[in-house]
Amino acid sequence: MTAPSVAIARVAPRASRGLWGDAARRLLRNRVAMVGVVFIVLFAGTAIFASWIAPYDPNAGALANSLQAPSSAHFMGTDIQGRDELSRVLYGARISLLVGLGSVIVGVFLGGTIGAIAGAVGGRVDNVLMRVVDVLLAIPGILLAIGIVAWLDRGLPQITIAVAVTNAPIFARLLRGGLLAVREADYVVAARSVGVPSRRLLLRHMLPNSLTPIIVAATLALATAIIDVAGLGFLGLGPADPRTAEWGTMLQDSTKFLRSAQYLIFFPGLAIVISAVGFNLLGDGLRESLDPRLKK
Amino acid sequence: MALLSVDGLVVRFRTHEGTIHAVNGVSFDLDEGETLGIVGESGCGKSVTSLAIMRLLPKPAGRIEGGTVRFDGQDLLACSEAEMREMRGRDIAMIFQDPMTSLNPVLTIEEQMVETIQAHRKVGNEEARTRAIELLTIVGIPQPENRLRAFPHQFSGGMRQRVMIAMALALEPKLLIADEPTTALDVTIQAQVLELLQRLTTETGTAAILITHDLGVVAGMTQRINVMYAGYIVETAPTAELFAKPSHPYTVGLLHSIPRLDAVQGEELIPIEGAPPDQRRAPVGCPFAPRCAWRLPDCWTTNPPLVPVRAAEAVVTTGPGATHRMACHNPPTAGEAAAGRPLREGFVAAPPPSAVADELALVVP
Repeated sequence: MTAPSVAIARVAPRASRGLWGDAARRLLRNRVAMVGVVFIVLFAGTAIFASWIAPYDPNAGALANSLQAPSSAHFMGTDIQGRDELSRVLYGARISLLVGLGSVIVGVFLGGTIGAIAGAVGGRVDNVLMRVVDVLLAIPGILLAIGIVAWLDRGLPQITIAVAVTNAPIFARLLRGGLLAVREADYVVAARSVGVPSRRLLLRHMLPNSLTPIIVAATLALATAIIDVAGLGFLGLGPADPRTAEWGTMLQDSTKFLRSAQYLIFFPGLAIVISAVGFNLLGDGLRESLDPRLKK
Repeated sequence: MALLSVDGLVVRFRTHEGTIHAVNGVSFDLDEGETLGIVGESGCGKSVTSLAIMRLLPKPAGRIEGGTVRFDGQDLLACSEAEMREMRGRDIAMIFQDPMTSLNPVLTIEEQMVETIQAHRKVGNEEARTRAIELLTIVGIPQPENRLRAFPHQFSGGMRQRVMIAMALALEPKLLIADEPTTALDVTIQAQVLELLQRLTTETGTAAILITHDLGVVAGMTQRINVMYAGYIVETAPTAELFAKPSHPYTVGLLHSIPRLDAVQGEELIPIEGAPPDQRRAPVGCPFAPRCAWRLPDCWTTNPPLVPVRAAEAVVTTGPGATHRMACHNPPTAGEAAAGRPLREGFVAAPPPSAVADELALVVP
């Protein structure tokens, strides 16, 4: 019998996946979040490749084809002007993705800057900025967006800005809170105790440790942004060119044919639901994987 | 001239529940290369004293409301934040209690060590990295080249504390403040870390302040000890003398509440009854009076000053010949200190005067 060999290999420590690596692993194991990812991939893929996969020109229609029910030629039927509904839904994804993503990026930047200034400077600056944020938060998001579009006039950049402004206060709040929470964290005090300059303290030690809630909130905000954009379109504050295929506008146009052509309301509605649910599921998954305390 | 000279330090915290009287006039000196222990139970102001010296009190609640701190001839309380930053790490460094939370979880050990070195020295990344490897080797971390790239969560508590020590000593500071450096560690690791700290401070001639509630830790590590209670220094003496002749009832109580291997069989542990005073009230009388078995009526009203145990002795504040001082109206005799309780015939601790009793009743429901 051979003695059990106790070989203690001098292996180099496993290349670290670090905080983010561990979070990614947890996320990949989260089925619900992965369903969200599938939805998002579907949505984003559609938006990017719309011009290749759309069977018809979204703006070309013949009145002879007006209001046809779904068939093999027109999978989702046609609208009042005889335009192919499928092509319009596919192109509509572009607007939603572009405006949704754009508004969240602008919102994170805007809100993040305000929150970082408030959290880092503190005192009176913090007080003033946060009261402004409170005022913005008190106004219902869609109402604020309507006001801004009404003020800036219709158009995609205007919608982007409007939705960004409604989202920004949330990010400002979150980042400020995160910074305040880590300001007295042991590792920040420890870094101060060895003389790390305050700029570096903020950028390298405090910000990265307060970003996780922002990432989660931004993902969830994408869902709201898509709904907000559609909402504005539905209320007649969509893209400046009324021909543009935009889901909210399409919904509005189809309300007139609610009894005769229900499919016209079904498909754009489904598209909005799929994309919004996708980001919601991913956002929840991200929250769970980035915050180990929420693990069941 | 002493390296560090703290005089009449008062620190208070303004909170929603009122003012916390954390440190109420603490004075002590420290020479170059000297090791001083600060002992006392949780909340007695040990850590706050050290954070005040570093000017790292949590803002805006924590305020230094009195006293001076002179370091190397400089008035630290008058320094600008930029001057303080220059000094932190380079001249005074600190090791914190919990190594699990004192390293930034999103940065590698290398980034954090290099950052510390580059905060004070104009050196390139490669040079700083070499120094970091050298430091990790000194503190006994195997395969430092590989470990540098690791994240804090890949280290055990003892290893992390070694990293913290390496970072604290990276710039060869003149003073090292170690705030309960071993409290969060396993007993077996405690000894290793303490031995390491002692070896490094001795080799480099760094003065050290060791803050702990563990008398066993300070016994072997320090030359002098300050015993703190409720924001006051109640007794100070060279280490050997403090253990041999404890003169304040609180010190006596501390020594009797730790089990000893060489204790006579059947000798009982005597815990200190009660809890530290509520520091939201401005201190009146001796802070230890409510828990003291030796108290006199005076103790309730007058806080005794810190005076030499042997009256009329000239006060020496630093070095091995430092004067043994304590703050007590009715110090225990040597026999009483050994027994841990008053032995005088018919002696009863003075009951609280009615005013104090009412107030105590208010505080302790």
